Amino acid sequence: MSEPTLAPTDPRVAADDGDERHFCSTCAFSQACLSQGMDKGALLDLHMLVEHVGPLHAGECVFRAGDRFEAIAAVRAGTVKTFTIDREGREHVLGFHLAGEVIGLNAIDGESYPCSAVAVDTVMLCRFSFPKISVLAARVPGLQQQLFRLLSRDIGRAALLAGDWTADERLAAFLVGLSRRLAARGFSPDRLQLSMARTDIANYLRLAPETVSRVLKRFQDEGVLRVDRRAIELVDRSRLEALASPALRE
Amino acid sequence: MATVPILDADLLQRYDRPGPRYTSYPTAPQFTAGFGEAELRAAALASNGDPIPRRLSLYVHVPFCLSPCFYCGCNRIITRDLGRAETYLARLYREIDLTAALFDRDREVIQLHFGGGTPNFLGPTQLREIVDTLRRQFHFSDNADRDISIELDPRFIEPAAIAELAQIGFNRASLGVQDFDPAVQAAVNRIQSIEQTVAVIDACRASGFRSVNVDLIYGLPKQSAEGFARTLNTVAEMRPDRVAVYSYAHLPDLFKAQKQIEAADLPTAEAKLRLLQIAIEQLTVAGYVYIGMDHFALPDDELARAQARGSLHRNFMGYTTHADSDLVGLGVSAISHIGDSFSQNARDLAGWQGALDDGRLPVFRGMRLSDDDQLRADLIQRLMCQGEVPVHALERRYGIDFKLHFAESLHRLRPLAADGLVRMEADRIVVTSRGRLLVRNIAMCFDRYLDPATASAPPRFSRAI
Repeated sequence: MSEPTLAPTDPRVAADDGDERHFCSTCAFSQACLSQGMDKGALLDLHMLVEHVGPLHAGECVFRAGDRFEAIAAVRAGTVKTFTIDREGREHVLGFHLAGEVIGLNAIDGESYPCSAVAVDTVMLCRFSFPKISVLAARVPGLQQQLFRLLSRDIGRAALLAGDWTADERLAAFLVGLSRRLAARGFSPDRLQLSMARTDIANYLRLAPETVSRVLKRFQDEGVLRVDRRAIELVDRSRLEALASPALRE
Repeated sequence: MATVPILDADLLQRYDRPGPRYTSYPTAPQFTAGFGEAELRAAALASNGDPIPRRLSLYVHVPFCLSPCFYCGCNRIITRDLGRAETYLARLYREIDLTAALFDRDREVIQLHFGGGTPNFLGPTQLREIVDTLRRQFHFSDNADRDISIELDPRFIEPAAIAELAQIGFNRASLGVQDFDPAVQAAVNRIQSIEQTVAVIDACRASGFRSVNVDLIYGLPKQSAEGFARTLNTVAEMRPDRVAVYSYAHLPDLFKAQKQIEAADLPTAEAKLRLLQIAIEQLTVAGYVYIGMDHFALPDDELARAQARGSLHRNFMGYTTHADSDLVGLGVSAISHIGDSFSQNARDLAGWQGALDDGRLPVFRGMRLSDDDQLRADLIQRLMCQGEVPVHALERRYGIDFKLHFAESLHRLRPLAADGLVRMEADRIVVTSRGRLLVRNIAMCFDRYLDPATASAPPRFSRAI
């Protein structure tokens, strides 16, 4: 009997790889570089090494807090979780990074990574190994802008957690945020495949895990969304958007 | 799909070949030793990670029986030494400790079932101790539909004990009867009077049990059409909420106890078919609804209502009204279905005890379901419970092109469609009234692990009829 071919449930797991001369389709920087007339070859000439890393499997480390900062990385496929561990040994989830997003940005001003990054599922990365990012950014103005954009987006996301939002608002903002990020990459905004565990979502949103489930169950009962194992279908996105808007406006 | 199944003798005989009962897909023979404690722990951890983790169903296996029934194919130990229960329970509590720790506390238990062997080998005090221990270690749901059920051997329980069971929280019972015909009872070494049985059913009712099931078996030695018809009559008068009519599978090489049965005493294939026919006719006339496979229920029973609503499910414990839950098996040989995994505890007492004495989970084999396994399990579940395969819904849920993905299955299904067992519609495959008794054969077309050589291989599974 032949091996059945199962179409991937989630097209996001497929990384469309580039090559020496071409950027990957999910690359966070390709637009900025190409608009400056710089292809991968040109980057190579600037001593900027672009290196494909992976696949990393769930639980494998991308970098650890305290590691010497040598590179930022763009996620090509899968999801990466960033977190810190406090003095009591408690984990604090800082964020989840999807295909097309960049990790390690918050290390740019220092010598070492201030947080750890771990693969949530099977992850493919692009490492941009360059000690002197500012030198490169100066030569590629578009890259600088892109970096600023990415940095400010990172800060904006952190604000979601700082506010005094209810559990409903936090969860709605989380789902709407994910949905928008997926939509920006051309995926359906209404079907989310959550690769991260409930405890990680709860930790990130500063909620108890059972609260995450309770709110989702209520959303489901109210017809706002449907949950099927790790898949969430947003049935009434405008309801969620309305709930999320105070938290997302910040 | 609350139609009466049509029994077509010619068809049934042609399709009578060994096949799985699909209480799981893939079936137990696919489990491997490569799936051990670490894999089980990982599966439980992942199951806790769902945004809304599934609720839990608990199964406790009590392997002991006071007396051997010759037809039995279950994992059991015959003993009159009641003291063996205590050593067993000591290990069981250890297993409960280890297992409960795997699951997040907010995951509610909606179903607890005791099977065997003979669960009432244990006295009410012991059963209470187990239920109390489980209640301490797991979070039992307060929902009205939370069930605590037990298989009872009416020969070994006093009506007074039933009231105690109700106090503990038991609300469903399943009684073994098989056949009231004295000749059959002698041939299978299970002498059980109608009075004993009625007394237990009455006690269940008086104690407020939500439902009572009676198990019958057709195809037993010395069974006759007249005798079985009388049994069915008697059972219908007792008015149990559910009746299961199982097919006896004579596999003496696999099940030692069956060696005591004279093959010459077994009904012929034709006679066996007649027994099934009698069962369907009499139960239908008596007002029972056919649920599927070997199960019947009164129209107002939850099982029949769930079937009408399309919310029927099936797991290792048979048909159930409880939607997808993770199944946690406790005790020797118990099977679990946690997240994307199946696993089974050691089948021998020594292996099970040894693992627990070493502080290990007693799992000895299992498997992780691939995406394809999950898709086929879902499909077979829908066949068994809803009597149809919703093609578009499956395509959407699993991101497949149904025709492409199941090209081989659809090819295997063609003769069954020609025989009128299934009807191919634009966006669904429907089991017909003629196909209902042969739903196992239909499901087998979608079983990736059955190659066409199965028919000639020695039977590992019971026959379809």
